[in-house]
Amino acid sequence: MKRMSKWIIPVSMSVALLAACGGESNGNGGNDNQNGNSAGNNTGNNDNSEQPDTVETGSADQEVEASGEESVVLDMWIHQTGEDETNFYVERIDAFNESQDEIFVEAEVIIDDGASSYSDSINAALVAGNLPDLLALDGPYVASFAESDVITSIEEYVDDADREDFVDSIIEQGSYNGELYSLGAMEASIPLYYNKDIFEEEGIEAPTTIEDAWTWDEFLEVAQDLTTEDRYGLNLFMNYGVGEWLTFMGAPFVWSNNGELIAEDGSTADGYFNSPETVEALEFVKELFEEGVVDLNPGEMQFEEGGAAMALGGPWISVSAEDAGMNWGMMPYPYSETPVSPSGSMAYGITTLSDHPEEAYELMHWMTNEESTIGLSEVTGMPPTRHSAFEQMDHYDELPWSIIRDQVTETAKARPQTPAYPVLTDAFAQAFHAAALGEDVEEMLNQQLDRVEREIGRFQD
Amino acid sequence: MARKPYLKTQEGKEAITGYLFLLPALILLSIFLLYPMGTAFYYSLTDFYILRPDEKNFVGLENFSMILGDAAFRQAFVNTMYFTVLVVPIQLGVALGLALLVNKKLKFKVFFRTAYFSPVVMSLVVVSILWTFMYNPNEGLFNEILASLGIPEQPFLSSPDQAMNSIIVMSVWQGAGFQMMIFLAGLQNIPGHLYEAAEIDGANLFQKFLHVTLPGLKNISLFIFITITIAAFKLLVQPMIMTQGGPLGSTKSLVYHIYEVGFNYRDVGYASSMAVVFTVMVLIITIVQRFLIKEEEG
Repeated sequence: MKRMSKWIIPVSMSVALLAACGGESNGNGGNDNQNGNSAGNNTGNNDNSEQPDTVETGSADQEVEASGEESVVLDMWIHQTGEDETNFYVERIDAFNESQDEIFVEAEVIIDDGASSYSDSINAALVAGNLPDLLALDGPYVASFAESDVITSIEEYVDDADREDFVDSIIEQGSYNGELYSLGAMEASIPLYYNKDIFEEEGIEAPTTIEDAWTWDEFLEVAQDLTTEDRYGLNLFMNYGVGEWLTFMGAPFVWSNNGELIAEDGSTADGYFNSPETVEALEFVKELFEEGVVDLNPGEMQFEEGGAAMALGGPWISVSAEDAGMNWGMMPYPYSETPVSPSGSMAYGITTLSDHPEEAYELMHWMTNEESTIGLSEVTGMPPTRHSAFEQMDHYDELPWSIIRDQVTETAKARPQTPAYPVLTDAFAQAFHAAALGEDVEEMLNQQLDRVEREIGRFQD
Repeated sequence: MARKPYLKTQEGKEAITGYLFLLPALILLSIFLLYPMGTAFYYSLTDFYILRPDEKNFVGLENFSMILGDAAFRQAFVNTMYFTVLVVPIQLGVALGLALLVNKKLKFKVFFRTAYFSPVVMSLVVVSILWTFMYNPNEGLFNEILASLGIPEQPFLSSPDQAMNSIIVMSVWQGAGFQMMIFLAGLQNIPGHLYEAAEIDGANLFQKFLHVTLPGLKNISLFIFITITIAAFKLLVQPMIMTQGGPLGSTKSLVYHIYEVGFNYRDVGYASSMAVVFTVMVLIITIVQRFLIKEEEG
């Protein structure tokens, strides 16, 4: 059966896709590369086991109509994702329209294939000067938009109690130069998944709190022990391709080794991106591959099918693992000096072109309030962004989900807030991948550093 | 008798009709080709950053001098040349071979012709995704086949040495069917009496191919040669889908590099200057090819 499935996937896909050739085809057709690129920033709905039904792009199907008496009409862009998630956004917008009669929101669903089409749409609208009032944007890109005055600061609107309720990583992700620009309703994290059956068989105890999290040495040792002839110890989802995933998943190796990718003020990456701490972190990654603990080319379902005993994967892996009927658990992200975990997802920004920033903030607040973040978490399986939400969601009090809660509230670190992020993330992903291929880590980092420095220079006059 | 104004003459009227027929094409070409090319040329002299559309500064030839020192551009250039130099002759040969095969009076001729042509009608993106599955080193079809033949498993797309070659094989498979159809049309245009004459002269199969078939296909081959070359230079979809330009940049093509710089890194100024260089390159190669063809015909 296993053998047959290798033939069946391409054959059945080609039939399905041939049929789709004539008409328009929605979704990614199972392209794991594209899914992976977005995995870090985007949603858990791109899980690999099931293709979500996507919603058509264009005007959202809003149930509530404008009465014509509203004094302000706001345009809002939401990114296209799985049907459930998009429908949830539209429902929340409908509820907002109903809750008051001052503001009416017209929502538009913009194509997001997980690669770059959503940001292409933003770029095009930006050049043409017709951005909406409020738009969904990817967390690490807040700095770019803030630096270029595309989005506006929300400092004057946000109140302290509210600010306190958001987890630190979301405030960090939404801030640039000490000012808050963006808030989001969805967090993301990466726990270390493990196959409970294999762990029981081998008599390995998984840590259950961040205090007990494995250090790199323990982690490597267990991974080596679990690696057998027909099983890898660990899966890093290298099949997602060389993209955002490698930064999202990989940067905590550097951070937990007390390294950084860029100076705190963003003025340079020299001495950070190529620091001994960073080199050491990628050397550790390189070792994982050299020891044969990780597969450079894992199949999409390697972990779910028992081909790897552990996996550093997004929250969406719990969905596919559950679907595969496997016995899975979560433990905290392993660390070197300080426990750090990945963070970041889609958030909202108010554009500088908006004539009604105050009303747009009201909408942003609504879309990220307790009800929204809890609802979104229930629909997508992604963690919420507010402390109060965690308190109300009971399953986060128990294993395995308590791991995610602890990571989001205690160890989550946002990716760097620099306008040079697009180049920085690619440079890091390239270096991470080179380490996986067994290349000289220091040489690769220095090589990539040039690009990053040049990009940083652009914003320094 | 006063002469009629030119536009009132028969000749003049025909000219007007002619230009009217040209007009729709000219308008569309201007809007969608000439105008963007002009703006790209203008942007190439500026520091246009996409997030700041209103702050374009004229920087002269700075972008172009940056290209000279850009290692990524150089690598992308070498990759693209490598791809072109290999893919053009291979695809030409495969297309000719397939055309000769399906031109034979075989059973199921139509079936084979359709089979060889079908990859062409499939979207390149779809084909790339499917081949990525088949190239998977652990679970892919190809290694399965190799294993059953006792050949060790290959890394294919995950190896810097094999990735581009793997893409070349896939590209030939996808593209050759189209050129096969053109060759087929050419083959069927070669008059049968030439073959008969050759047979009377005692020519064997190979001699007939060499002295009748090939000369008969010369013009078509040159046409195909030029179109494949230009298409090869525009390599983008395969590395984008299959390898994201990796591993270690070994499959990053020029167009892909330009796309990344312009859209992902938002440096439209620099990307435009590379696009200008790229256009000039393709233009020169095309002109040289045209020139060579003229020589041959004369």
